[in-house]
Amino acid sequence: MKYLVMECHTGYAVLLDEEGRFCRAANPGYEVGQTVEDPVLMREEKKKTRHAARRISGLVAAAACFLIFFGFGYYYPNYVETYSSVFLTINPEIQMDLNRRGTVVELTGTNEDGEVLLDGYDGRGKDKVTVADELIDRAIDMGFLSEGGQVSFSIDAPDEFLFQEYGTELRSGVEEYLNGRLFVIIEITDRHHSGAEQNADAASTAVSGQNDSGYGISGTGDSEYGISENGDSGYGDSQYGSTFYSSSASVSSAGRSSGVPAVAAGTGGNASGTEGSSSAGGSSSGAANGVSAPPENTSGTSSGNGGSSAGISPSTGGADGGSDYADSDYGSEEDGVSDYEEDNVAEDGPDGDD
Amino acid sequence: MKEEHRIIQQVYKAKKDMEAADRLISAYIPFIRSETAKFLKRPPVEGQDDELSIAMIAFHEAVRSYSRLRGSFIKYAAVVIKSRLIDYRRRESRHEGVISLHTASGEKEQPLEETLTDGVDHGETIAVRDATRREIEELSRQMKEFGVSFSDVAEHCPQQERTLTACRKALEYAREDGEILDILLRTKRLPVTQLARGSGVERKTLERHRKYMIALLLIYTNGYEMIRGHLGRRVKGGTAL
Repeated sequence: MKYLVMECHTGYAVLLDEEGRFCRAANPGYEVGQTVEDPVLMREEKKKTRHAARRISGLVAAAACFLIFFGFGYYYPNYVETYSSVFLTINPEIQMDLNRRGTVVELTGTNEDGEVLLDGYDGRGKDKVTVADELIDRAIDMGFLSEGGQVSFSIDAPDEFLFQEYGTELRSGVEEYLNGRLFVIIEITDRHHSGAEQNADAASTAVSGQNDSGYGISGTGDSEYGISENGDSGYGDSQYGSTFYSSSASVSSAGRSSGVPAVAAGTGGNASGTEGSSSAGGSSSGAANGVSAPPENTSGTSSGNGGSSAGISPSTGGADGGSDYADSDYGSEEDGVSDYEEDNVAEDGPDGDD
Repeated sequence: MKEEHRIIQQVYKAKKDMEAADRLISAYIPFIRSETAKFLKRPPVEGQDDELSIAMIAFHEAVRSYSRLRGSFIKYAAVVIKSRLIDYRRRESRHEGVISLHTASGEKEQPLEETLTDGVDHGETIAVRDATRREIEELSRQMKEFGVSFSDVAEHCPQQERTLTACRKALEYAREDGEILDILLRTKRLPVTQLARGSGVERKTLERHRKYMIALLLIYTNGYEMIRGHLGRRVKGGTAL
């Protein structure tokens, strides 16, 4: 191959080969126009185009590391995979999917209000208690939750221990959070087992509320107990009962509820109502227990009830009067009234007296 | 430290700017000579020892391939020069036992080259060389109008055979279609779109080798007979226009 010298520089010469390539070469005294053979061409630095194979192997290695970390190894099961769920029910019902660490991975509104409540809120990556607190705040702002309202956490955990742990954590977290601001009842139930034991009359938790709004949950064994939140409304109340209190929500298994009592958190609220009433509630429940129900349930449930009876609807009053908790196992009241007489709880009676 | 910093700046500038590279090489010729001397174990003789020019091109390569990650530039350049000289020596080892034309011979202590005849008419060779040089100078001047220098062209010359073929294809098309040459000469710009559409070569390829394309198109326009003759030896149809 012959090269035509096109240009000479101090350090190099530009040559034109016969195929039309221009190249640089060492210039051992060339002159422009000269034809040279066998020059020492300058080596062009290698462009950073690496071999495809090498690049792919690098990618594969990176992908493998990625998979090990995020896939079967550590990250996915711990951070991404839904391990347990908590259903937060106020009136809006929200499903919180949690990972193994108790961090929220997904929030879903399971009813219309729930969607409204979640609109514009992103709780992913936050701890369940934080999310619960924030959602409760939002619910308060939006008017879903007011003084004396009820917040129910239905926990779907794969094992008993986790259920207990989450129950305690959520309860104390939310109680502490709302302390001094609002009085609400917090109910913890186990969603996982509730279905199975739904029909068992044995267990149901009931919470009887404080102050005038004698809400309460009557967990009638088989079904639709309702909650009459405000005394006046009673079970006739449209909001509850049918809508979101599917039986499963408040009916808790006997075993579970004992562990994590569904307690009404008497925070702030009505000073008058709370203490006295709760004791009353306690006693009443005791009474109830004596009557029929498994002791664990009732004891767990009714604590913290306010002086609900006063506000409780006529029915409750009636119930009280009649104190037909005869067979009603737990400390629930009103709602059950009409349908199930058995369900009526007597506690209110004493409370009212207070 | 400060000094080192300055030279690194210069090297980085020289990577992009050929004139800066020339200046840098001129400034470091003593260094290049000393590296060559270390290798030859004797001072290199200007104009006689190819090693010196090898060392210079190696220095140039070092400028282009240097990066801060490689440490001090001077040390890096020394390594590049040395390994390039070793390469050269290996390549030239097949010529061992051949004496230099400059070796003094005979009684008159005349250099050998002057006592030999190679059957080539030197007068004619020189005439041809002169004619070629004039053509190249003219081409260089014309290329300057387009803002292109030979160094630029060398910089943007297709390296891969495939790219070279693609460029040739475009060139072939442009030569047949006189319009493109006209546009090029009139507007001083390469009509890339038209060329790509007409020749079927990727527009990107043409854009990347724009300077190269301009140079070759110019060569094929106004009678650069000598240069074209040089190309024509291998390029099919290179002479026909």
